[in-house]
Amino acid sequence: MDDLMAGREPDPSAALALKVPVEAAKPRWWRSVTARRYAFGYSLLTPAILYVGLLVGVPFLFSLYLALSDASVGAPVARFVGLENFVAVVQSGTFWVALRNSLIFTVGAAVCKGLLGTSLAFLLMQSFRGKKVVRVLVVMPFTIPIAVSTLGWKWMLDSQFSVINWALGQLHLIGAYGTDAWPVWLGQPRLALASVMFVNVWRSFPFSAIVLMAGLTSVPPEIIDAAKVDGASFRQRFAKVIVPMIAPILLIGALFDTVFTLSDISIVYLLTNGGPNGATEILPMLAYRVGIQAGALGRGAAISLFLFPLLLPAMILLLRNLRRREW
Amino acid sequence: MARSARENALRHHVLIYLGLTPFVVLAVFPILWMAITAIKQEADLYRMDTIPFWFGMPPTLKNFALLFNRTSYSDWIVNTMSISFWVSLITILTAVPAGYALARLKLRGAENLGIGIFMTYLVPPIILFLPLSRVVSELGLQDRWWSLVVVYPTFTIPFCTWLLMGFFKTVPFEIEEAARVDGCGQLGALLRVVLPVSWPGLITAVIFSFTLSMQDFLYSLAFISVSDNKPVPLGVATELIRGDVYFWGSLMAGALLVGVPVAIVYNLFLDKFISGITGAAIK
Repeated sequence: MDDLMAGREPDPSAALALKVPVEAAKPRWWRSVTARRYAFGYSLLTPAILYVGLLVGVPFLFSLYLALSDASVGAPVARFVGLENFVAVVQSGTFWVALRNSLIFTVGAAVCKGLLGTSLAFLLMQSFRGKKVVRVLVVMPFTIPIAVSTLGWKWMLDSQFSVINWALGQLHLIGAYGTDAWPVWLGQPRLALASVMFVNVWRSFPFSAIVLMAGLTSVPPEIIDAAKVDGASFRQRFAKVIVPMIAPILLIGALFDTVFTLSDISIVYLLTNGGPNGATEILPMLAYRVGIQAGALGRGAAISLFLFPLLLPAMILLLRNLRRREW
Repeated sequence: MARSARENALRHHVLIYLGLTPFVVLAVFPILWMAITAIKQEADLYRMDTIPFWFGMPPTLKNFALLFNRTSYSDWIVNTMSISFWVSLITILTAVPAGYALARLKLRGAENLGIGIFMTYLVPPIILFLPLSRVVSELGLQDRWWSLVVVYPTFTIPFCTWLLMGFFKTVPFEIEEAARVDGCGQLGALLRVVLPVSWPGLITAVIFSFTLSMQDFLYSLAFISVSDNKPVPLGVATELIRGDVYFWGSLMAGALLVGVPVAIVYNLFLDKFISGITGAAIK
């Protein structure tokens, strides 16, 4: 293998080695084929690692520094203030509201996506005509840019001309416009939180279904047959064979979606802007409001860092999973 | 016998279609509704006496005309295209060599580097946007779309590196070895033999540089507040709303004109996207 990988010219040191055996006894490692391959490989990696290191790694550390300083957009020179930002954040009422809403939003939406996604995956795993067309249609919510579709939802949830209310009104499920029985989706606290969650679920349930299908199709049928031959019941096959095999994929899918849901700002920003009265305030909105709109970079960084411990357990789980398997 | 088999197949189909209908309606109706709104006349939108799913007045293209004549929409399209071009270029120039090195060169530490690059993809923009806003202003790129060219590769490079890594693993070693025997150097074998057969992978990487960039909202919202310099999603969402006045027809027209092509292209490559992110779990 290494011989084949050697350069095009015969190595001049080979000829030299015949005359000077002492040199041949101490081959220089850095001139070996392996060394050249390593040098080539690492130089190919350098641009990507530098880019990601400088614009993800360094900013991440920089956000830790910002969170410990009183940096603001106006004043470039920041003072170290220790944990002051974190203390101030924890003492403010809005933070706890945002944290609570973020958790309700993320967990509630995850449950709905899981249920809808599983049912859809089950249906799409069957064989039927027109499957490709159906698949193209049902994944549209996931592939259309989220800011674009959220604008559509804003119009559908309009306080007066909502098409949903029109349909419900025709079915006599709601009262007339202007009465209490007319739902103002984005204007009433509970309905507003439910609405933003619903749009998130709408956007991501196709993703859950497709990840689940990718997992299920990755289980080789021979393994299931082998378990059948060994006398495993359906429940045993499911719990002991299928679930452990698709768990890593589901974990990545869930983590990917959680990262999106916890950190997405577009749905709330465009639909409710955090309102009414903080009912849909979530951590990313608060971080944006404080960090960019009010210009308090340090305070904003402290808020967004509170998201990190929420994500960390899932990331550690994933990392362990990736390391355990053979490469 | 044959007849009952056909009946069974029919029943099977009816049940499945019945089950799928709510999902298809749920997924597609909002987009259809946007499309109908985009070609309705302004007054037709606010009539509650007619069935809103169809046209009470003849359809119109006025909403599109307003976009191009009275807003910076054409600027936003140019901005989006320019951003996509530069982001794709940066991504290809960095992710192709990195993916190749990780997949083919049996480097020491390749496994950990691969995992490390994948993990950076999972660091959410919400943690990075404040420090990056500082980076952007240090570079003097505040309010310019170039800031997004600098920032978007932070997620396209990790994703595409991972995607291309999987891709390069499937290119047979033999063709590279043959090239080496024929006298190509390491770089020569990569450029002349591996890349030409890898073009589907490269196209996929370009597609994702484009579609993933289009999914962003936070970075553009945080970095760009000058109207003419916005990309399409941000421009439509922020410039077509004046206080409490919504230009619904034009909003939907502007959103769909870019959103639907992106959705279709992404749709075609969705399996690649899924195997890209689950590739970490299935070998």
